[in-house]
Amino acid sequence: MTLSNRMAIVGVGATEQGKLPGSTSHTLAVEAFKRALADSGLQKSDIDGLLTMPGTTAPEGSLNYLRLGEALGLDPSYTGSMTMGGGTAGALVQMACMAIDAGLATNVACVFGDAARTGGSRFNRASGWGDSWGIWGMYGAAANSAVAASRHMALYGTTSRQLGEVAVACRRHASMNPNAVMREPITLDDHQASRWVVEPFHLLDCCLISDGGVCIIVSSAERAKDMKQPLVTIAGMGQAYTTRTLGREDWWYVPHQKEALARAFKMAGMGPQDIDVAQLYDNFTMSVLLWLEHAGFCKVGEAGSFVEGGRIQLGGDLPVNTAGGNLSESYMEGWLHIVEGVRQMRHACGPRQVEGAEVCLVTGRGMTLNCSNGMILRRAA
Amino acid sequence: MSAYTKPVPTLDDGNRPFWDACREGRLDLQRCASCGHLRYPVSHACPECLSYDSEWTTVSGKGKVFSYIVFHQVYNQAFAEDVPYNVALIQLDDGPRMFSNVTGVANDAVKVGDRVEVVFDAVTDEIAIPRFKLAG
Repeated sequence: MTLSNRMAIVGVGATEQGKLPGSTSHTLAVEAFKRALADSGLQKSDIDGLLTMPGTTAPEGSLNYLRLGEALGLDPSYTGSMTMGGGTAGALVQMACMAIDAGLATNVACVFGDAARTGGSRFNRASGWGDSWGIWGMYGAAANSAVAASRHMALYGTTSRQLGEVAVACRRHASMNPNAVMREPITLDDHQASRWVVEPFHLLDCCLISDGGVCIIVSSAERAKDMKQPLVTIAGMGQAYTTRTLGREDWWYVPHQKEALARAFKMAGMGPQDIDVAQLYDNFTMSVLLWLEHAGFCKVGEAGSFVEGGRIQLGGDLPVNTAGGNLSESYMEGWLHIVEGVRQMRHACGPRQVEGAEVCLVTGRGMTLNCSNGMILRRAA
Repeated sequence: MSAYTKPVPTLDDGNRPFWDACREGRLDLQRCASCGHLRYPVSHACPECLSYDSEWTTVSGKGKVFSYIVFHQVYNQAFAEDVPYNVALIQLDDGPRMFSNVTGVANDAVKVGDRVEVVFDAVTDEIAIPRFKLAG
């Protein structure tokens, strides 16, 4: 039987975000768990599944589930850690759904904490198995997306100012979010005047590096009906990957994202016309443009003009990243995108609430453009 | 020349033929002896048919700029005095793509679609890094 609307997100929790000296990946994950638990109304003893993403500053790496599980005093019936960068949060929530559906767990906490800012994580790794791309100076996460932006600009005439529209929208939304790290509004001129990082990216095309923790609790929709919060179900979900980089000519365009979203739309029985608000993974501004094309909000090559004129701002046709995204809220590698999606569906977003929103698309993508997923959240009628 | 302080490949049995050829002024790639797929980067099994048998084949080294970026941020201190420097994704006429640099011209003189050809930059006695120049 399809998973559509049979699973629900019943609790979300986020710590303070930004620069939090004295915090560690571990303390932030614990605090996020406590906040999500309180949000859900569940007791700790109700949590029998624990899925985690090791922060970049978590020394135990893939053994994070053990470290965190012990700290939380859990003896879960299902657990594990996964490392897909910004693709992890969505993949773990979907894994939680599958575990619950399979009867392996009842209430699954998905947890992430990282002190990337104070810990000095720079996301500067050179990709390339075998001969490292570092031989040619190809370093860091920004460069991969810059390759996509450069190609998109050359093929379709996309401009830096159009990328700037994404940055401006995210910042405006962050200005309405008291938990956001960067709340001072910016203009397109500010974007253009910010220093180059990797051309064609200015500084304001790039996400933040942040300390923080996030926890998302998943349960069955049936159980969720009797829980504390308004019911938010997962109407559709999908994933898609390419492990190839240089080996695939269209790698730069991350075409697998389109497949991931097609799967999510199919499960939900929906299409882009049904989406009221979207939380699109924005490690860099360019990524939002690609998602808009992959989701079918516009045609291939047309995302640049699509975002002009405030269309993705609150009050526009398709509000995107209503909490500010990785670009301005906090770089929680997509975890906060899910949190904001849930809060929008609960109609709990105050001044940044999309009025009457009932369906939210949330996307995640990670590693060297390799991993992608999408979820369609729905406010229960 | 002064000592080269930037990253160089670690040679092993797998990639040594590639770098030996570069030192000798050739761009050699692996062609699968089973399915004929020409591949880069170096790998021990063909990613198409998984055959272990391959032959080193000299390619033209000609191609075009598929995408092009310019680094201003220093991610590795070894490049601190090089910024701004370019990195190009090169589409070889023979099929594969590789990351490299376009040399000999200002960063703003290169655009996506430009024709290029390989040149070899001998950075140590053992290693010559394949880079590209604009084709005349």
